[in-house]
Amino acid sequence: METEFDAIVIGTGISGGWAAKELCEKGLKTLVLERGRMIKHIEDYTTMNDDPWDYKNGDVITQEIKRVQPKQSRTDYVNSESTKHFFVNDLEHPYKEEKPFNWIRGYHVGGRSLLWARHTYRLTDFDFNANLKEGIAIDWPIRYKDIAPWYDYVERYIGVSGKNENLPHFPNGIYLKPMELNCAEEVLQKKVNNSFDDRIVSNARIAHITEGTKPGLGRVSCQYRNRCRRGCPYGAYFSSNSSTLPAAELTGNMTLKPNSLVHEIIYDKNLRKATGVRVIDSNTKEVFDYKAKVIFLCASTVGSTSILMQSISERFPNGMGNDSGELGHNLMDHHFQVGADAIIEGIEEKYYIGRKPAGFYIPRFRNVGGDSNQKNYTRGYGYQGDASRGGVSKNALELGYGSDFKRSITKPGDWSIGMQAFGEILPYHENKMYLDQDDKDSWGLPKVVFDAEIKENELNMRKDMMQQAIEMFEAAGAKEIVPYDKKYIFGNGIHEMGTARMGDNPKNSVLNKHNQIHAVKNVYVTDGSCMTSSGNANPSLTYMALTARAVKHAIQELNKKNL
Amino acid sequence: MDRRKALGNIGKGIGTIIVTPSIVSIFQRCQSSKTFNPTFFIAEDFNLISRLMEIIIPKTDIPGAIELKLPEFVDNYIDAVWDKKSKENINKSLKLFKDVAKTKFGQKPTRDLTFDELDKLLDKFLKSKDINSDEEKFAASFTTDLRNLTINAFRTNEYIGENILAYQPVPGRNVGCVDLDEATGGKAWSLQ
Repeated sequence: METEFDAIVIGTGISGGWAAKELCEKGLKTLVLERGRMIKHIEDYTTMNDDPWDYKNGDVITQEIKRVQPKQSRTDYVNSESTKHFFVNDLEHPYKEEKPFNWIRGYHVGGRSLLWARHTYRLTDFDFNANLKEGIAIDWPIRYKDIAPWYDYVERYIGVSGKNENLPHFPNGIYLKPMELNCAEEVLQKKVNNSFDDRIVSNARIAHITEGTKPGLGRVSCQYRNRCRRGCPYGAYFSSNSSTLPAAELTGNMTLKPNSLVHEIIYDKNLRKATGVRVIDSNTKEVFDYKAKVIFLCASTVGSTSILMQSISERFPNGMGNDSGELGHNLMDHHFQVGADAIIEGIEEKYYIGRKPAGFYIPRFRNVGGDSNQKNYTRGYGYQGDASRGGVSKNALELGYGSDFKRSITKPGDWSIGMQAFGEILPYHENKMYLDQDDKDSWGLPKVVFDAEIKENELNMRKDMMQQAIEMFEAAGAKEIVPYDKKYIFGNGIHEMGTARMGDNPKNSVLNKHNQIHAVKNVYVTDGSCMTSSGNANPSLTYMALTARAVKHAIQELNKKNL
Repeated sequence: MDRRKALGNIGKGIGTIIVTPSIVSIFQRCQSSKTFNPTFFIAEDFNLISRLMEIIIPKTDIPGAIELKLPEFVDNYIDAVWDKKSKENINKSLKLFKDVAKTKFGQKPTRDLTFDELDKLLDKFLKSKDINSDEEKFAASFTTDLRNLTINAFRTNEYIGENILAYQPVPGRNVGCVDLDEATGGKAWSLQ
């Protein structure tokens, strides 16, 4: 069995898949490790064509599902009958909460690239400059110009549907044609764009093919089934399984090993670099060591930081790369679950064809200069929203019951529209994760403990998030506007990030501007753990871009014999 | 299962309901020829909710709740999906519904309530919203919960979803704004 490689990639999700592709395509013999089981594109999407009536109680989260997935079920949506097999059994993968935390994930080849909501937005210099400008945390070691060519590169490869709006805080990108908004969404768009001069309603930017094809295992146009999270037989949305892993496979340079839990990265204090990884077979619990010249740690924020914390040596008594003491700290997410729902009247004779998987997006319009600057909070938020006629109409409820009522529920419901804001969480040092060395799981690994909460800046922002949703629906002439601010639990945004942040100074950061660990230059960390601030944009595109950029740097360094 | 047996079971203990042969039974899950044993409701209450659901969604040119086996679906749904608190709440409000019925209709047992009497109760709570006490508030909430459960059962029904509503598993295209008649002939899409 081969144990020495040019490169090792830990993780096969959004960032790991990209590391595998880029390294393999540049000719490096690459070992790609995934702790979970194999999921083959299409072949293993066992529920992809199921109708609701294929399940005894419909496609819902049952009490039995909640028994084995009590924490995944807190989302109220990710793990229904058709998708539960892609999320962890919480009883087998326990973690601890000093303050409430929803750690939502699945362990399998492809990770959350199979399960993500596919919203794809760029960070801007409003985000990269903010920490420095406001004296919060530390400065990002990069700016938009450093990552922009990589945003182009990734968008071009994966396929992103969206519309350019020529706004500095909502940058233009490489987009396939946007998915047409429906009648009610258009009403909102027209009225908001006319009534406000500081904001617009645009199309959601999502990683779906809407024209042509993209490279991979037969990636063709979206068929508007809205069954994405089960895995797509058309490869229409981006996942490692349909796109980057097949690209890596095609080169002949990839060795993919599922069921391989990385325990730690091995450090050689004489060579002053990492020499390889120690792996536990998740099924048999046998231990294997693998060697490589360069390592890409892409196990997702908490996974990667856990591995670094487990990588203890004489040189790194507090975890690999943790000279600064920042490892595990500055944990962030996006807070959401605040906004409003409403009814649009007057278009009852209109409907839509197809079930597009996303609707509209209202890009950040707060704290972008001038009158948009808020007194009681900094940073910003954007709204995701959509409209549909899937409910029960007011008319039906008035009929009450009986044959007329029955007839009316075979017709579409009222045009129901909603928007929900996603907001930035500041990097607070005290928001953190750490490992409980006295409480191990069944693989002998210490359980993760979470200790994080949103604070005044976020709470003030939430008041504005709700108020602006109300004002926009009022401007649209919507009826029955119902605002809401549901209790947000940290982590529920499923965008946890920040625990191994990038920075120029090794005294207060874990990674440098190339995503290398300052003190261990042949280890690159390119998943969410590297984020120095969270911005308000869905982060996956940034992870992919940083990964591709970091691989280019790693290849250059290898060629110069620096690694 | 044997279609004649299925139709026979539908007729048991219900009163005069006209059932014509249909292809509905092809869409039903095969069940044993024993009478259905409810898992959440006690037998008498299952009988009551079956009759109420048939009034909420009666047989028209489309099968009604009983022929579609919606009561069975609702019974299993509450058992498998609802949490302990919600189950306790509906048991409480169901009891109060039966109490209101007893008071209104001369203390007769639940199983003797006629179609007209059940219809009067549903009219009181779901149409006229004639609620005069705390007891009646709970009874009303039972009827709205039951109606919501019935609507969900109706929409999750294979026969309804594939034949009565507009069924399009693979749309293949996205058209944002089109006349309702042109899209589905006026029907709702069955898939969301």
